[in-house]
Amino acid sequence: MSTQEKASYVAVCPECDERKQTETPNEVVEFYRRHHRVTGHDVDLERARPDLDEDVTGDDLKSVVRHLLEQYPNGVPIGVIVAVMNERGLSIGETLDEIHEIRMGGGLYEPRDDHLGAF
Amino acid sequence: MTQWDDSQTEHVSDDITDESNALPARYFTEPDVFEMEKEKVFGRYWVYAGHANAIKEPGQYFTRDVGNRKLIIVRGHDGRPKAFDNVCAHRGSKMVEDTPMTDPGDASRIQCPYHLWTYDLDGTLRSTPRSFEEASLNPDLEDEDVRELDPEENALNAVNVDTIGPFIFVNLSDDPMPLEEQAGEMKDRLEALPLGEYEHACRIVSEVECNWKVFASNYSECDHCQSNHQDWIEGIQLDESELEVNDYHWVLHYTHEEDVDDELRIHDEHEAQFHYLWPNFTVNMYGTADGYGTYVIDPIDTDRFQLIADYYFEDADLSDEEEEFVRTSRQLQEEDFELVERQWEGLKTGALAQAQLGPNEHTVHRFHRLAQEAYNS
Repeated sequence: MSTQEKASYVAVCPECDERKQTETPNEVVEFYRRHHRVTGHDVDLERARPDLDEDVTGDDLKSVVRHLLEQYPNGVPIGVIVAVMNERGLSIGETLDEIHEIRMGGGLYEPRDDHLGAF
Repeated sequence: MTQWDDSQTEHVSDDITDESNALPARYFTEPDVFEMEKEKVFGRYWVYAGHANAIKEPGQYFTRDVGNRKLIIVRGHDGRPKAFDNVCAHRGSKMVEDTPMTDPGDASRIQCPYHLWTYDLDGTLRSTPRSFEEASLNPDLEDEDVRELDPEENALNAVNVDTIGPFIFVNLSDDPMPLEEQAGEMKDRLEALPLGEYEHACRIVSEVECNWKVFASNYSECDHCQSNHQDWIEGIQLDESELEVNDYHWVLHYTHEEDVDDELRIHDEHEAQFHYLWPNFTVNMYGTADGYGTYVIDPIDTDRFQLIADYYFEDADLSDEEEEFVRTSRQLQEEDFELVERQWEGLKTGALAQAQLGPNEHTVHRFHRLAQEAYNS
């Protein structure tokens, strides 16, 4: 089995055919930011296997964060949110845009860097 | 039984025939060195910022990070590119969003979103909101006592900018050596070619897990080509090729086995030409397509870099030959990524304190010498 097949998270830029594999969900987001900064490209999650205690219910981002707070009471890693929203059809860029929009409306907060809580 | 003596290392020797001719491994692996490089390498030498064709009109701009600095490169009203820190002179806010060269922004003025200080394209402060001219919220101050803001004294922080053909370079130093001194003959050679007539067609950015100097060293020699770039080397007469070294740049001349149609080359010589300009910029002319590529070997940290690969052709839409050019380039990249990541795995162990370079790795020796000189400065 290759390293790539083992990795819990594999992010891919389809335009550059560039892949990032990691066990750390937030590293996927860091990769997206670095890549987007110099290319403007969005990045897809080809694989995301977040270590979740139970299935996440709810479709909208805020209710997803609320649900995940039960497992991550000190803030949900933004990469885990990206992984769950990926199952709902959102790319990494789209999820980060939506997080920004909800945060600007006061619906989400950041108890520590790149970890989110929800009102 | 042989046991490596890693008790001490020496500076990169002047002479390539000396044993201590490579940069000691710790300069690749220690995080403190990367912090030092931000100042002594990327803070002192001319660094490639982007292509002039991306910002043809006044007001068009892109951003570029160099070391810890965040820069805006903008075409001024006088038609010349300018570079500024992307930092407001008021209270230090980052002003414009990250904007890659491949998707440039367009603004008649640069405005900070925080308190709306607005700057002309030459960096001078153009206007501020009324709240900076009147003291209506301050009971201890009369409006007439409010200090007038001088446009020059409150301008954006200008960064040195110069060009070689369509290539825009920046220098963060207060008193840099001239770009033409750093580039040497490379400037004349590249400016003799019609590089500015080509349009950006494609950008491919890869993250590679090794120190940026490992890849730069690998790029600069071809002793590894025979065994690792077998498809590409088939078309190259390596014994007729030459690796030319100059002060701050080197040129890899790879002679083609068979002549290629003149229309498929930019330069006259029947060869591939790869130009490397210290510290981290290359111009790649394969001689098999009417176009060229550039690399920026941009460090992320000690252990990783981004290879920013741009491709330029007559038209932004790729023809079949141009697709093949990019594919060849990508194949070489992937082959090299595997090699440098493998080397990095070994270097990181600390087993080898100082490598040795072969007689045809004189280009790498130059690169290591320049790094050593920069660190010692």
